[in-house]
Amino acid sequence: MSSSHLRLTATLLALAVLLPGRSLLAGDSPASETKAACCQPAPKAACCAAKAEPKPAACCSTATSAEAAAPFTSDSLYQLEAAFTDDTGKAFSLGELRGRPVALNLFFASCGYACPLTVTDLLAIQSGLPAELRSRTAFVLVSFDTARDTTAVLAQYRAQRGLDSNWIILRGSDDAVRELAALVGVKYKQEADGSFAHSNLVTILNAQGEIVHQRQGLKGGLEAAAAALAK
Amino acid sequence: MRLFALILSLALGLGAAEPVRMVTIPAGAYVPLQRSTKDAPEVRVAAFLLDARPVTNAEFLAFVTAHPKWRRSQVSRLFADSSYLEHWAGDLEPGPTAPAAAPVVRISWFAARAYARSAGKRLPSTAEWELAAAAGYTRPDGKNDEDLNRDLYAWLARPVPAVQRAVASGRPNFHGAYDLHGLVWEWVDDFNTAMVTGESRGDSGLERDLFCGAGSVGAKDTTDYAAFMRQALRSSLKANNTTTALGFRCARDLPR
Repeated sequence: MSSSHLRLTATLLALAVLLPGRSLLAGDSPASETKAACCQPAPKAACCAAKAEPKPAACCSTATSAEAAAPFTSDSLYQLEAAFTDDTGKAFSLGELRGRPVALNLFFASCGYACPLTVTDLLAIQSGLPAELRSRTAFVLVSFDTARDTTAVLAQYRAQRGLDSNWIILRGSDDAVRELAALVGVKYKQEADGSFAHSNLVTILNAQGEIVHQRQGLKGGLEAAAAALAK
Repeated sequence: MRLFALILSLALGLGAAEPVRMVTIPAGAYVPLQRSTKDAPEVRVAAFLLDARPVTNAEFLAFVTAHPKWRRSQVSRLFADSSYLEHWAGDLEPGPTAPAAAPVVRISWFAARAYARSAGKRLPSTAEWELAAAAGYTRPDGKNDEDLNRDLYAWLARPVPAVQRAVASGRPNFHGAYDLHGLVWEWVDDFNTAMVTGESRGDSGLERDLFCGAGSVGAKDTTDYAAFMRQALRSSLKANNTTTALGFRCARDLPR
């Protein structure tokens, strides 16, 4: 080690010891500098477009589907960085739902008991909404049967249940589905026969993607859910 | 230059813990504490790699330094509640109540997952974690390991200390893994499969309505008190929760 290295070492040590409240790591962190220069003052779209590679993940992470819009609120589920595909095979980000009231349900297509009942209830809610609200309310089904609920199976499900274009039927990776389930508090577990034990929980999101209501169980609660969509 | 790096890391308190080693947990069977009537009696678990000890404050500091969105002041409440890293002195300063070599606690499932992803790893599943933790000090099945059970129940009886001890300072289990019992509780990837709806198959109609397939609660082994505690904890948690004695370690598939 040269004497200049020793001097540098001594200086760094002195800084580390003599500056309580200021971590050396913090000051020297490239991520920290990037954050200050990039994310805080600038809108996300500008931030992501302007910065050269490599892009810091934390800087550009939520800007995929709403580059021109403001950041999601701190309670918005749309902060979840998870990739889904719909029943036509098109990529779908939850942030695309921003601005619409949403009724969200996790399900699996071969479910023989609760899921068909819940979809029937959601259809009843949909048909009972005032026309204007009905036209902009999204009914979102996300499958936790990531292996069997292929795009084709989900498309078939749409046809069988007569679900119109306001219904968005999604599949995703195990990771994506588990994180979404965790956010809304749905528990599920695959059983040995391939079916799923799962919570029966319909979640109503407002235009910002925040949870405003949850309907638990299979009986009743339709009016409250519809009222939450109207808020 | 090596000396320079060593001195610098010591000055930053990073020298207290060795880089984490992974141990191989051989394939085995996990008998779920509670299972559905439709479930097989046991779950086969493939061999996998598990961190030999929980993730430390020093390691988590490096993570939040590189990933600002997971710093205490910047994390979204959606992904971590208000006590996230509350015991740290600052965003990038664990401070005296979070020694570098102690396990990081007060982290959410989302944060633990993000850390694991950044390390090219994942969280262990419940079945994997329980299989690894079923080993005794000297044998793969620790159910009747008196030393292990004594240490485990002594730990359960003690209040959570204000400052956690260093990881890997106790006795490793048969697989070479430290601290699966006796230091902190640990997140598992599928914590939200734990559905505690009642104490018997006699669940009410309401509960059957809350959970599709809820004829699922029959305890196989009612003597494993510690396993019940883990099950109760997992079933009570939300993914953004953080607590004073809940940490994590990472796992990885074995290369094929």
